Amino acid sequence: MSSKSSLLKVILLGDGGVGKSSLMNRYVTNKFDAHLFHTIGVEFLNKDLEVDGRTVTLQIWDTAGQERFRSLRTPFYRGSDCCLLTFSVDDSQSFHNLVNWKKEFIYYADVKEPESFPFVVLGNKLDVSERQVSSEEAQEWCMESGGYPYFETSAKDATNVAVAFEEAVRRVLSLEDRHEHLIPTDTVNLHRKPRSATQCC
Amino acid sequence: MPEFDVIVLGTGLKECVLSGLMSANGKKVLHLDSNPYYGGESASISPLEELYSRFRVPAPDKLMGRGKDWNVDLIPKFLLANGQLVKMLLYSEVTRYLDFKVVEGNFVYKGGKIHKVPITEAETQASDLMGMFDKRRFRKFLSFVLNFDESDPRTHHDMDPRNTSMREVFRHFDLGDDVVEFTGHALALHANDEYLEQPCLLTINRIKLYSESLARYSLSPYLYPLFGLGELPQGFVRLSAVYGNSFLLNRRVEEVVLEGGRVAAVRSEGEVFRCKQLISDPSYLPERVKKVGRVVRVLCLLNHPIKNTHEANSCQIIIPQAQLNRKSDVYVCLVSYTHNVASEGKYIACVSTMVETGNPEKEVQAGLALLEPILEKFLSVSNLMVPADDGRRSQIFISRSYDPSTHLQTDTEDIMDLYRRITGSEFSCRDPRDADADSDE
Repeated sequence: MSSKSSLLKVILLGDGGVGKSSLMNRYVTNKFDAHLFHTIGVEFLNKDLEVDGRTVTLQIWDTAGQERFRSLRTPFYRGSDCCLLTFSVDDSQSFHNLVNWKKEFIYYADVKEPESFPFVVLGNKLDVSERQVSSEEAQEWCMESGGYPYFETSAKDATNVAVAFEEAVRRVLSLEDRHEHLIPTDTVNLHRKPRSATQCC
Repeated sequence: MPEFDVIVLGTGLKECVLSGLMSANGKKVLHLDSNPYYGGESASISPLEELYSRFRVPAPDKLMGRGKDWNVDLIPKFLLANGQLVKMLLYSEVTRYLDFKVVEGNFVYKGGKIHKVPITEAETQASDLMGMFDKRRFRKFLSFVLNFDESDPRTHHDMDPRNTSMREVFRHFDLGDDVVEFTGHALALHANDEYLEQPCLLTINRIKLYSESLARYSLSPYLYPLFGLGELPQGFVRLSAVYGNSFLLNRRVEEVVLEGGRVAAVRSEGEVFRCKQLISDPSYLPERVKKVGRVVRVLCLLNHPIKNTHEANSCQIIIPQAQLNRKSDVYVCLVSYTHNVASEGKYIACVSTMVETGNPEKEVQAGLALLEPILEKFLSVSNLMVPADDGRRSQIFISRSYDPSTHLQTDTEDIMDLYRRITGSEFSCRDPRDADADSDE
C-alpha cells in the first residue's frame, strides 16, 4: 500500500504558562523540563506519524513567548491546518481566555470556514492537585463552541498527549473537501546555488 | 524594574533586522511599537478596508474582491538578490519564514517610452537605450567594472578608487550621456546625479552588485516576498522572539530617560524599562531628527499590468531625473495577485519621488500616466528624516526614513551603518550560497 505523506502545520495556542511548549516537547522528544519558564529557542518541531494508514509530518509551531504580550500576527498563523487551544486546569483565567484565542486565530489565520475548522481543546497540567476548571465545564464549552474534541493532558507525566495530537490529525484528514495548499511554483530558493552563474549585461 | 541591553522603538524593517541581529548576538532586547501591527512605515496593510480607512477614502467597491486577500505595502520596495539584506536573511535563517519571487521586469524610461534594461549580451546589442558605438564602449566599461578589485591596483587602469570621480571614469571610456544616465540610475541605482562628482568606488561596487544580483536568477536582479514587504520585519520578529526577546504592540512611549547625556530607560504606559542602548525609527524621537526633504508616494490599485512590460506581474520602472528636468528620479513599481498581495486579477503599483515643488501630485504625473486606467489612488507626502547625530554619545541610534526608491539599496546601507555604530564592528557573513557546489539539489 502506498501511503501519501503530507506536511501539516499545527499550532498550540493559549495563555503563557499553560504548558504549550512542554506539551510539544513531550510529544516530539518525550521529555519534560520542569524548569522551563518562558519559551526560548524553539522554532517548530517536526514529528512523523501514521494515522489510519496515512503517513503525515506534523510541523508543530511554538509561539516563542509572543502570546504573553498578544503580539502574534498573521505570519505566525498563516497556513495552519489545525489549532490546539490550550489552557491549564488549575488556571480558570486561561480557560476563559480560550474564546479570545479562538477569535484571534480565526482572524489572523484568515480561516474561511470557521465552523468546520479543526480545533482541539487541551486542558493541561492534569497532574496538579488543585483544579479550578472542572471537566464538565470544559466539555460544555467545547460542545457549545463547535463540538471540539477535549483532552485533559499532562505534559509532565505524558497523560493523553499523544492521543490528543493524533485526534487533531484525524480531524484534519477527515475534512472532506480538504485541498492541498496552493504552493506557488515559481518562488525562488534563496539557498540554491545557481546552476550556471553566467555573467550578464 | 526590568533591564534590557537594547530597547527598540518601532517595528519597521530596519528596526526589526537590527533587533533580530542583536538578539542573535546574545543581547536582551525589548521591542515596542505604538501601532497594533508590525512594520511601522514599512508595513503591508490588510485587509483592504484598512487601507481605505487609513487614507480616509470611502469603502472599497465589491469588484476589489475579498479585503483579506490584500496586503498593500505602504512603501513597496524590492530586494537585490545578491545584496546584504538577502545575505542577512540567509545568515539569520529568516528565509525559512518567507517565500520570494523574482521580479519579472526592469525598465528605464527614456524619451517618453519605457525600455527594458538589457540583461543579456544579445539584449544589449538589440537595445535602443544606446547607439552602436556606445555599445562597444559600454562593454569595455562593464568589463572594467566587473573585474575591478579595490585591493588589486592592476585592475584600476590608472584610476584611483578613492579620488577619481565617476564622471572621469565615464569620460575615460568615452561613454555618451545616454549611457551614463542609464548606467548611473538603472544599474548603480543612484537617485540623482550627485554621484558623478564623488569617488568612483561606490558606483563601481553598486554596478557590480547589480550584475551579481542579476546573475543569480537571470530575469531581473530583484526579489519580492509573497504576502508583501511587511513579511520581512515579521520574519525578523520571529527570529528575535525565538531568542527570547519581547515584543509589545499598541504601546505608547511616553519618555526616553537620559542619565548624564546617555540613554538609561524608556517609560511606556507607566512602566519603566532600563536599557544600555536604544534603537528607534524617526517618529518616536522627533527632537533628535532633522528633515532633509519630502517624499511623495501614490499607491495605485489596477486591474491590468503596465503597458509595454510584456504583461509583467511585477516590475520596476526608473524615470531618470533628466528625463523630466527634475533633480531626483521618479520610481514606479508593480506587484500583483501573483504575490498574494491583491485579489485575483488585481495589481498594486506605486509612484514615488522626492518633492521639489508645491504640487507633488503633478511631479509624479509621468509615472501615473504609465499606469492608466487606475481604479483607485492613495496619495501621501511624508518627511524624509535623518538622525541629528551618530548616537555614539547618547547610545540612541535612529534610522533614516525610507527614501522614494523602489529598491532597498540605501535602506540596507543604513542598516549596515547603524549596525556598525551600535556594535562597533562591521556586519559580515559569508553568503551560504557561495559555499561548496555540493549544495546544489
